[in-house]
Amino acid sequence: MLLGIDVGGTHTDAVAIGLKGGARILASCKVPTRHDALLSSVTEALENILGQVDPAGVTQLNLSTTLSTNAIVQGKIEDVGVIVSAGPGIDPHNFMPCRDFHVIDGSIDHRGNEVRALSPRQLSDAVDACRANEVRVYAAVSKFSTRNPRHENAIRRAVLQCREEADCEYADFVTSGHQLGGALNFPRRVATAYFNCAVWRLYNTFATAVERALEGMGLGHVKVNMLKADGGTMPLTRSRRMPVQSIFSGPAASVMGIIALTDIFHDSIILDIGGTTTDIAVFADGAPLIEREGIAIGSHPTLVPALKVLSIGIGGDSAISVSEASSTVRVGPNRLGPSVCLGGERPALTDALNVIGACAVGDTAASRAALNTLAAAHGLSTEAMARDAVDYASTTIHNATRDLIDEINSKPVYTIHELLEDKRVVPKKVYLMGGPANALKMELFQRFQLSTEVPEHYEVANAIGAALTRTTWELELFADTQRHVLFIPSLSYRENIHTSYDQRDAEKDAMNQLAMQLDSMGVFLRPEDAQITHASSFNMVEDMDLVGRNIRVKCQVRPGVVAIIREG
Amino acid sequence: MLKADKSLGIVFFPAFDWAISPTHPERQERLLYTQDQLREEGLFDIEGVTEHKPDVAAIEDVERVHFCFPEVSAVTTRSHLISAGGAMKAADLVMRGECDRAFAMVRPPGHHAMKVVHGARGFCSINIEAVMVEHIRETYGHKRVAIVDTDCHHGDGTQDVYWHDPDTLFISLHQDGRTLYPGSGFPHELGGPQAMGRTLNIPLPPNTSDEGFLMVMERVVMPILDHFKPDLVINSAGQDNHFTDPITDMNFSARGYAALSEMLKPDIAVLEGGYSIQGALPYINLGLCLSMAGVDYSHIREPNFSPELIRQDARTTAYIEELCRQLPALYFDPPPYNRKNDVRQGVISGDTLVRQRQIYYDTDGINETQRETLFLCEKCRGLLKIETRADSGPQCLGVEIPIHACPDCRSRGYQIVEEAQLKGNARYIQLINRLDRDYLRVGF
Repeated sequence: MLLGIDVGGTHTDAVAIGLKGGARILASCKVPTRHDALLSSVTEALENILGQVDPAGVTQLNLSTTLSTNAIVQGKIEDVGVIVSAGPGIDPHNFMPCRDFHVIDGSIDHRGNEVRALSPRQLSDAVDACRANEVRVYAAVSKFSTRNPRHENAIRRAVLQCREEADCEYADFVTSGHQLGGALNFPRRVATAYFNCAVWRLYNTFATAVERALEGMGLGHVKVNMLKADGGTMPLTRSRRMPVQSIFSGPAASVMGIIALTDIFHDSIILDIGGTTTDIAVFADGAPLIEREGIAIGSHPTLVPALKVLSIGIGGDSAISVSEASSTVRVGPNRLGPSVCLGGERPALTDALNVIGACAVGDTAASRAALNTLAAAHGLSTEAMARDAVDYASTTIHNATRDLIDEINSKPVYTIHELLEDKRVVPKKVYLMGGPANALKMELFQRFQLSTEVPEHYEVANAIGAALTRTTWELELFADTQRHVLFIPSLSYRENIHTSYDQRDAEKDAMNQLAMQLDSMGVFLRPEDAQITHASSFNMVEDMDLVGRNIRVKCQVRPGVVAIIREG
Repeated sequence: MLKADKSLGIVFFPAFDWAISPTHPERQERLLYTQDQLREEGLFDIEGVTEHKPDVAAIEDVERVHFCFPEVSAVTTRSHLISAGGAMKAADLVMRGECDRAFAMVRPPGHHAMKVVHGARGFCSINIEAVMVEHIRETYGHKRVAIVDTDCHHGDGTQDVYWHDPDTLFISLHQDGRTLYPGSGFPHELGGPQAMGRTLNIPLPPNTSDEGFLMVMERVVMPILDHFKPDLVINSAGQDNHFTDPITDMNFSARGYAALSEMLKPDIAVLEGGYSIQGALPYINLGLCLSMAGVDYSHIREPNFSPELIRQDARTTAYIEELCRQLPALYFDPPPYNRKNDVRQGVISGDTLVRQRQIYYDTDGINETQRETLFLCEKCRGLLKIETRADSGPQCLGVEIPIHACPDCRSRGYQIVEEAQLKGNARYIQLINRLDRDYLRVGF
């Protein structure tokens, strides 16, 4: 039995799915999210589910939380010492993420050759300055560290002054840039390493609390995975060193839910209409689109792989307002507590949907009364105001979706499987999920003029997606036969290679390392789930002579679900 | 986050599957490290800097410019057409207002490709700047264009294509032709009789460093551009003046290139040569991108850069100062067309100019014999006729009716093509009629 929990902005959803004789939903629930005590939302949802199923039958819990995302948005993060070596190029101070940012002289070139060693004096000064500011977590990042991690390793040693964090009295955690992935992008590496450190302590405290709580509920035997933004999971123990990967996992859970619940194969639009926001995702030929290099956190682009999702401030609890000047009715982008029908004080979109009769959520009379008051204050009729509010919400969602499609079509289209050259995404179908999905179905159908489907279990589709998502992993291998070195940055794996090493060897090694990695995490890799997404080999020539090969291979386990729900 | 002062579109086409030969300087690996450097710098995350896919030039885009014999597909590969298409894409980005500036970082290069193409010379088959400029003129109206060629080799191909065009100013800065391929590009090469002074060559002595290049830009190039007032400035951005380039002898640096570009403010830059693929290209290309986008480039520095080691000596400086004194007059007050009886330079008899030339294609080892006739017309640029033969190959004929041709030149053009067909002495005939956009091929 698989459990899935998605801690969302408004609700925490949970499901239990049995796999015997075809995947079935055995239990589900929805509890409010308490942002100041996320763990209690998780335990409440778990207790609810365990009241319906046998705890002993549970084998796996997949968890998606807003913990890291919220901590970053609300600035509840720890001070980080960011120490970088940049060498020539754009001034690294442009990418300074925080106060304790130090640039050390030294450089590594694009081939991975050390051009200039790190300045030991500057490095020790930087570490001293951070310690003086009582910094306990550090990011070590150098340009081209994915070719040669020498400088990052030196910075790490200077910070810890011993091999492992556990033995260190000066620092609790160091993120080395190259371990975040093999991609080339120094500014993103700096930002990613910074955020990874900034939420590290908070995340680990939460992870420990979750483990304890599970123990307490008799679920100590359960394998726990955290959801990532790319639509995959990682084991909880792994995530402790990679907390940044857990950001923005909620929208990914919804997208994976659609894959588990529907037979999606067209270009499609997924609208997850929650309490606070609507998340818009796009599928090309049945595969979700990804952010090409990684998702942006605020104004900082990062290397965190993510599905392409646009969030806009329209949800069931989005407050209705009237602009004084033009008497135009607007919805969102703010949520000022729940809708009136559910005990809130400010009329929201759900109240308007109650009034026009699209749904009957909670206390519909209270919805009408609250809208009456607001309408009267602006000289409008209640019906007209409700109508306007619903129109505004559906139009806003429609326009944002169209803009997103246009933006996608102006660039090459990247899906979880591949790069689709010359692909134009032309949506044929709209899938709706989330609380107000059914109530808005006809409205959105009229806007989009496309087949619109609200799948079964739409209210907990995100938790279903979380439960059924499998572990993903990717790695990049870089080999330089002139330097006789093979390097896999994300594993800090270095090996000497022979002059005759070629692309085929590299592909084999990359796939083997991928399988070994997953195996060490307790995940069995089916060969068909792994794929090589990039492989190239360049002859390197100096003075008219062939001096070696420059080989790059990238492979991944692509996101997917372990089972599909077939019911009804 | 960084924001570009000028929005910059970059068209990147590294032709990772194309090489002249496995160990040739113009090989697959050439832009590999540039790509790595640009990605690692996060260039495309700068707000206002965007990456674009190249278009593919159509046969007609090439035939608008060149006489290709026996035909376009025989002298080009798909990589050539994408490289030219990349330059066209860069032009479209700027002309449609999608970007303030654009940089076509493409290969194979093109500036040694002349009006007539029988094969490849100086690593070039078709002139990607010329294909781009004529695409601009065909699509967006007839523009005054200045092409400033900062490749270390004389841009003899571009010079040849625009030799008779008074609306295109071609300025080439290069290592003195007495010391480097292609052995041309001297100050007396000023353009045909209808376009005197619209070609300007600035041959620089070996070991010229940042100081010399920037001096020439400031004292010669910029005042001339200010006077010419072009609608578009195009930079043929070759990068082989770099002090580490293996096939040239200059001492220019990456930051120097960026400073030159900052002064020139090109609307469109097109990559040309540059074969120090590890030590120079990654840094020069980054410098050019930052400079064109108006972003600070002062932290760029090649691994083995040392201002002292590459400084030019006093004699070089004095020589360049003298060039700066003498050269501007060639544009502002060009001498009358030389009528001496040298048929290689062109002899005027009656209303025609006749040039007889031998052109060597070093890359493909072809010897071309060519007789060029320009009808000196008072109402237009004049009809151009070229009779050409490659080695012992068949006789070929190219006729070009220029863009603002008068009715007489137009009808004479068709008449020549008709007569040649009747007489049958040319195996291949190509007509470029820019006036009516009629592109004709006979004998293919």
